[in-house]
Amino acid sequence: MSTLDPARADERLRIGSGTPRRPRVDAEISVPPRFGLLALLAIAASIVQSTVLSSVEFRGAHISLLIVLVVWTGLRCGVVTGGWLGLLAGLIADALGGGGVNVLGFTLAGFGAGLLANRFFWDSFPVFIAAVAAAAALCAFVSWATLAIAFGERGAFARDSHTAVWAIVVDCTVAAIALTFIRFGRSRGWIRA
Amino acid sequence: MVAIPSFWDERKLLVFLALIIVASVVMLIEIDAARRGRQSFADQVAGTVVAPIQSALMMTGRVIATEAYVATHARVIGEQDAALAAKARALAAADERLKEHAVENRELLRMLAVRAAVPGRTIEADVVGYAPEAARRELTIDRGSSEGIALNDVVLNGDGLIGHVVDVGRSSAHVLLIVDPTSAVPAYLQRSHAWGIVTGTWLHARMKYIGQDVRMAAGDVVVTGLGEIYPAGIPIGTVSEIDRKDNALYQVAVLDPAVKFESLDRVLVLVAR
Repeated sequence: MSTLDPARADERLRIGSGTPRRPRVDAEISVPPRFGLLALLAIAASIVQSTVLSSVEFRGAHISLLIVLVVWTGLRCGVVTGGWLGLLAGLIADALGGGGVNVLGFTLAGFGAGLLANRFFWDSFPVFIAAVAAAAALCAFVSWATLAIAFGERGAFARDSHTAVWAIVVDCTVAAIALTFIRFGRSRGWIRA
Repeated sequence: MVAIPSFWDERKLLVFLALIIVASVVMLIEIDAARRGRQSFADQVAGTVVAPIQSALMMTGRVIATEAYVATHARVIGEQDAALAAKARALAAADERLKEHAVENRELLRMLAVRAAVPGRTIEADVVGYAPEAARRELTIDRGSSEGIALNDVVLNGDGLIGHVVDVGRSSAHVLLIVDPTSAVPAYLQRSHAWGIVTGTWLHARMKYIGQDVRMAAGDVVVTGLGEIYPAGIPIGTVSEIDRKDNALYQVAVLDPAVKFESLDRVLVLVAR
């Protein structure tokens, strides 16, 4: 090849109408999961919690997949879906042995997470983990209040607050792992949430 | 003038109110059921639908956990298993020894009671052998003349009369059992006080020379009567059959001996009366 040959030199010049420098990327279309799927996940999570994970504990604290799911749903889908899924999750938790102390806390947690949906990205680690921590604390407080009001059980806070703090830590850890898995799955195309 | 959108717009407020109302109703139903000690409808549905799944999951989880533990602790489990097997064997052996001691203890207690009941001095002896041939029903004890045992000393245990000494060595003696056909023991029926003579039939014993007018029944107890050799009142056995013939002078009673002669290991010798 010679620089004196203009015809050959043309081949080395980038022509504007040629192939683009970067491959074209379509705009991301993200569809929130349907409520039926989320309800099934909530049922599955409650069953797993009450069986396989019942023996897993850390300083007396058990993993709550339901709280993580409810908060994620609220952040991802908004107040309506988050609130109703929280109600469903609390109902399931109570039906499997809560005695009515979970339903209000879970509902408020789902609704509260939904309030954050318009202001924060749902896949942000700090937002999601902070929301899970707040939801776990809220659920614990509502449970203690319900126990005190409905069943006359005093001193639940003094007795269980230490465990509740560890439960918040455990739930935040599970939330971080879950969000990592979701982000990884989305980047690989396994998850379309 | 531009309206600033409220954080709590009407839609969110409606959703919030609806959620709070429904959640409160559900909570009250659940609490009411729990306070009454009953299951709510949701509890029943969950119990019916979820319980089988929970059961299957728990079983699967236990199996997996057990297998994982076995896989990761195979060596330790093997050692524990061997140690437990050795411990089980030792405990089984100890248990057998305890049972043996218990039997021995019961026998000794009975013998102590007999010792207190019979007059005179007694010597405890171990049975060291039986007659090797079936010519006579005899046994050998490990006490002899050096311990003070003499001919015709009465031998018994906690159950009753065994026999009497028929020959004495320095350190052993032979005892003729009451089931030997040559044995003859004066005896009487405890209930009617009718006298007779007990002789052996090899496996059992018979009480002969019982008067025809004596009324007896199966189960009547026969004890020794005072004679040249035997003291009175030692149990011999119980009547099992009665042989009464109208043209005979006497009745005969077949006896079940009180003593099990096949399993004797310790006896008392009544050396002085």
